[in-house]
Amino acid sequence: MSSRVLPQFDLLTPQSIPEAVAMLSQHQGQVSVLAGGTDMLLWNYIRKVKPTYLLRLSGLDELDYLNYIPGEGLIIGAKVKIVQLLEHPDVAEKFPALYQAASTFATPQIRNMATVMGNVLRGSPAGDCSCAILALGGQVVLQGPQGERLVGIDDFWVAYGVTERKNDELAVELRIPEPTSTTRSAFIRMTRVHEDLAKINVAVCLEMKQNTCQRARIAMGCVGPILVRLKQTEKLLEGQQITGELLEQLAASAQEEIAPIDDQRSTEEYRRQVAGVILRRVIEKAVGTH
Amino acid sequence: MKTKIMTLCVNGRDHRFEAPVNRTLLQALRDDLKLTETKYGCGTGECGGCTVLMDGKESICSCLTLAVEAEGRHITTVGGMTRDGELHPIQIAFIEEGAIQCGYCTPGMIMKTASILANNPHPSEDEIREGLEGNICRCTGYEKIVLAVQRASQMLDNSQIQKSGGMGQ
Repeated sequence: MSSRVLPQFDLLTPQSIPEAVAMLSQHQGQVSVLAGGTDMLLWNYIRKVKPTYLLRLSGLDELDYLNYIPGEGLIIGAKVKIVQLLEHPDVAEKFPALYQAASTFATPQIRNMATVMGNVLRGSPAGDCSCAILALGGQVVLQGPQGERLVGIDDFWVAYGVTERKNDELAVELRIPEPTSTTRSAFIRMTRVHEDLAKINVAVCLEMKQNTCQRARIAMGCVGPILVRLKQTEKLLEGQQITGELLEQLAASAQEEIAPIDDQRSTEEYRRQVAGVILRRVIEKAVGTH
Repeated sequence: MKTKIMTLCVNGRDHRFEAPVNRTLLQALRDDLKLTETKYGCGTGECGGCTVLMDGKESICSCLTLAVEAEGRHITTVGGMTRDGELHPIQIAFIEEGAIQCGYCTPGMIMKTASILANNPHPSEDEIREGLEGNICRCTGYEKIVLAVQRASQMLDNSQIQKSGGMGQ
């Protein structure tokens, strides 16, 4: 027997979304939902979760869709894997920050297994796709006993590893709004070696008019217990021409706005230093001067 | 402990067995089916030692996959690469390039190579190196492994030409 053994649990295999929601309600708080498994089984291995039941999404093919709808945006079903983002031409073209996050996400094996929704539900401040989704804006669709509710991505993460999803709700879909022809987005992360989790990551989504940024969303990861928007820095950027001088100001602002810590992947001091650098680079990447 | 009768299709053959529901695919392969060519390394999806193919070209970590989740899929291990006692060109390429030291990572490396070449028959060196991410070799550098993937790509090309009655080598 291999040395790591999963805890004992029973399996629930619903055949429809209503059945899944009913199971979540019936066994409230005792169920973990299994999709890709790359985080969920790991959490079971290390006993971070000890569910009585593992609810498998394997019978719910209706959650496996990735569609770009002109005028609305991108909709990502709960079973869509990271690799599917890389295979969809509209993701690369219209949502570059998300495409770039997916392309450097973990390893090929993990990209083949892990779901985009799982990355969001994990509630890690280091989530690469989550970082891109926070910059792009959007909503998480939750299906509960009382029906559907939408939670904006800005409100979805409440603490480290904790989300707005209630125990009796199934997260069914992510919605990312349609960009305009002048929306520019990009993602960058820093790691020690490529397949590591990020020591810091950043994504921006900028509404540009020539060289002037009209609206900005800046998301940064690994600089607090959850992914954060840098709202003060966004204000400095909005309405301004992107110049070298402005980028220096933004870098300084980002360094002040974050609250990183020392951990096994990096130090507070280093993260604060490079936060400014990667913000400058990601803006240059988004507007195409890098 | 709840158990379940499962059927796994491994290397083209169906295997029926009873196992606890928390069995991982890796445990099922090694402990239930005694197909020990797939290796346990980290158990957390980082080393690639347990890499197998799903449905012919998708590389996955069998340590982070429940066995029940693999039911109905076609699983290929390195044991399934050999046909009628003949080594697969990828295996030959690894031997000819000497891309093996202790050999523990090799089953995962071979399966990853199969996945890389199934999705992109002519990868550049950068694409090979990116593709090999997620498979760790602790003996050596990756030079010879990269050379082996390149050689395998050429060998597969040549065997395709032969099969199609083309020019041969």
